[in-house]
Amino acid sequence: MAVVVTGSPLSASPPGLLHAEHVSKHFPGVQALRDIDFTVDRGEVHALVGQNGAGKSTLVKCISGVHPPDGGRITFDGREVTTYSPKHAYDLGIAVVHQRPQLLPWLSVTENVMLGQLPAHRGLVIDRRKANELTRDLLARLRLDIDPKMPVAYLSAPERQQVAIAKALYRQAKLLILDEPTAALDAQRSEHLFSLVEGLVREGMGVLYVSHHLEEIFRFANRVTVLRDGQLVATQPISELSQEQVVTLMAGHRITQASIGESAATTAEASPALEFSHIGTGVLHDVDFVVRQGEVVGVAGLIGAGGHDIAKLLFGLDRPTAGRVALRGKTYDPRGPKQAIRRGVFMIPEDPTRDGLVPVLSVAQNVTLVSLKAITRRGVLSLRREREVANHFVGELSITTSSVRTAVRNLSGGNQQKVLLAKALNSKAEVLVLEEPTQGVDVHAKAEIHRIVRDLAGRGKAVMVVSTDIRDLLQFVDRIVALRAGRVVTDVPARTTSYAQILDLTVGSVAVQGS
Amino acid sequence: MSTESEGVKSGASDGLVDSSATEQVLSDVVPGARRGFAAGRSKNVDIYSLWPIAVMVLIIIATSFKSSRFLSVYNFENILSQASPLGIVTMGQCILLISGGLDLSVGYNIAFSSIITGLLLEHNASLWLAVLAGIAAATLVGFVNGVLAAQGRAHPFIITLGMSIFLFGLDTQLTGGAPVNNMKGLYSAFGGYLPSGLPFFGLPAVVLPFLVVVLFTYAFLRWAPLGRRAYAIGGNEQAAYLSGIPVKLSKIYLYTLMGLMVGITGMVLSGQINEASFNLAQNFELQSIACAVIGGTALFGGRGGAFRSLQGVALWGLVQNSILFLGFTSNYQQMALGVIIILAVMVTRVQR
Repeated sequence: MAVVVTGSPLSASPPGLLHAEHVSKHFPGVQALRDIDFTVDRGEVHALVGQNGAGKSTLVKCISGVHPPDGGRITFDGREVTTYSPKHAYDLGIAVVHQRPQLLPWLSVTENVMLGQLPAHRGLVIDRRKANELTRDLLARLRLDIDPKMPVAYLSAPERQQVAIAKALYRQAKLLILDEPTAALDAQRSEHLFSLVEGLVREGMGVLYVSHHLEEIFRFANRVTVLRDGQLVATQPISELSQEQVVTLMAGHRITQASIGESAATTAEASPALEFSHIGTGVLHDVDFVVRQGEVVGVAGLIGAGGHDIAKLLFGLDRPTAGRVALRGKTYDPRGPKQAIRRGVFMIPEDPTRDGLVPVLSVAQNVTLVSLKAITRRGVLSLRREREVANHFVGELSITTSSVRTAVRNLSGGNQQKVLLAKALNSKAEVLVLEEPTQGVDVHAKAEIHRIVRDLAGRGKAVMVVSTDIRDLLQFVDRIVALRAGRVVTDVPARTTSYAQILDLTVGSVAVQGS
Repeated sequence: MSTESEGVKSGASDGLVDSSATEQVLSDVVPGARRGFAAGRSKNVDIYSLWPIAVMVLIIIATSFKSSRFLSVYNFENILSQASPLGIVTMGQCILLISGGLDLSVGYNIAFSSIITGLLLEHNASLWLAVLAGIAAATLVGFVNGVLAAQGRAHPFIITLGMSIFLFGLDTQLTGGAPVNNMKGLYSAFGGYLPSGLPFFGLPAVVLPFLVVVLFTYAFLRWAPLGRRAYAIGGNEQAAYLSGIPVKLSKIYLYTLMGLMVGITGMVLSGQINEASFNLAQNFELQSIACAVIGGTALFGGRGGAFRSLQGVALWGLVQNSILFLGFTSNYQQMALGVIIILAVMVTRVQR
């Protein structure tokens, strides 16, 4: 099977390995994929790019048998795929390595690699020695230094990923799908992964490489396919494109370079509520920016770029290793949420039902949880006061609920988000940190959340919104601070920038400032 | 259950009629379901949560057909005096379960407090000193449980199981295995009956502390900030923490409160039977959890209430008693109770 390609793999392109023809996929309310036509060849690294929601994961799921496509057909290795199941795809030779591979933590590397196909004496007793030897050979081939007998739980994230690749190799995968493989890796580990993949490609394997990081794609992909809103907008050899062109294809319109250099000086009148000076943590490097009173600042960036880490610092869930945060001019270094709230800072976490709300408690109980003192008279909770407080916020934020006694879990996502905002207001916070406030809520609720946030800023509160949804941020923030790999890459007024520009900066076609 | 956004808007209805409206109607029809039985809870309570009462009515009817002596004041006093000590611990267990914790050391901790008091009384200490020391000892054990549980290094199941085994050793060591057989003033207090006529009607003396603890627990869960924190921590510990609630400190307080209730149970129980020994309250830990769960307290926190747990205790006591009147041996008691526990948990599951 191995077609050894030296020099330019593309020029010697053998017949395609995977063909997708007119593949479509519809989910209730969404046309996730529309008429996708593309090919992955043997011995090629084919990059798949697109914004969140463009259809990348749906396409990967169709190819790997998780979702059968509703239209079109997929041919693999010369045969049409008729049965769609992950197991069938695996048997055909399609292996997916996820960002966080699904492995069994308390089984050894060998057992994970060979799961279900361990060599056995007369089909009865597992031949451990042989299994470990085979695995050792396999790991050696990948130039990995991992003990095959080690339980996977003791391995680092990159090592687990490598084990997943070894597993794919053991199953004689012909197509390796790597889904955001470098998200958990540092530069050196990423390099190692690239050379490992390059080795496999030289042996004839086809690789479908899903990533947000354009630098990587330009570093070693042969071709790139760009998806946008479920449609394939281009498949081209990487050598024929610039990073800027790829970003334009992803965004759907041209980048306007005009205002990128403009500084954030326009909002400098109000006094600063939060000042970050040279903040460093495990993720953040030399982060410097200011959030002023009455201002909404959007912190944009990919997952892992550092937005979440800034939010954690502000709520005392993490502490900086370098630099200083100042809150209204005074050093701010909270030891936990309790201190943060006391200093007038409140964070609305990304996943409200997991981290923000107590689902079995009522709207009223959730809203007052953050300041039980305010409804306590002589050590006793005033349930009347509690209802008044809750009714006030239900009215103010127009939360749709049959009563303040309704359990929060019975509310829609948008209304749960509003209950969290009510909590924030009830905490009397002057600085609000919102993580992905519009994630998973409908259009109407989104608009209302935008309105409420603007309104809060209008009342002099400083609001910081951490989000990966740039388009959404641009609709309601004053300034955008874009992060990439833990560094601030730009800090501009929202009205002077564009979606494409920020996208470009966060995915990285422009060199990072000062690095 | 209404899960989506089209709830009826507060104040003015926007014309949509959905299941949350039905829920509203239901809770208006059943007023008790709306308010009474769930301290600090929202209107998730429905008629299903009253099933222990329905089962009890059935049992009472069935058993009174079988035996005329069953429906007598004497027998009901008997049930009350048997159920009261267990009921006190159940209230503490209920609070802990709501907060997402539990205490498996209560059985030998009850014994521990009674032994401390018993030994002091044997050495002619004053009643007050002995009682104070006994309650303090149990409270201290609760405090230690709380400090360990608050660290989050091990599940409270393991911590309190370890504490239980430790206390078993300590209890037998202190008494040499032989019970203290004279609880003196405590026996006078809890071994007999309350004055007849208003307001106590000559009920067994142990009923009074039980009643006080039930009312306290109800008030605590409904009106005390710490009670509210218990619901929040059990309902979503991470959210509670992110709301600025001192989670660790609250846990320490709650386990200490449990220790205090255990101490009270130790005094009541040893006074009632005039004995302090290591096996004074065997299996109380599991029985109290069972009673709370039968009453609808969630095993993993966030839901439950004092009066609901009280129903669990009542059903437990009634089944134990009626089985004998129905002519079965005590072995059948255990079988019936086992069935009830499993059914109770399944019923609460269906409710969600």
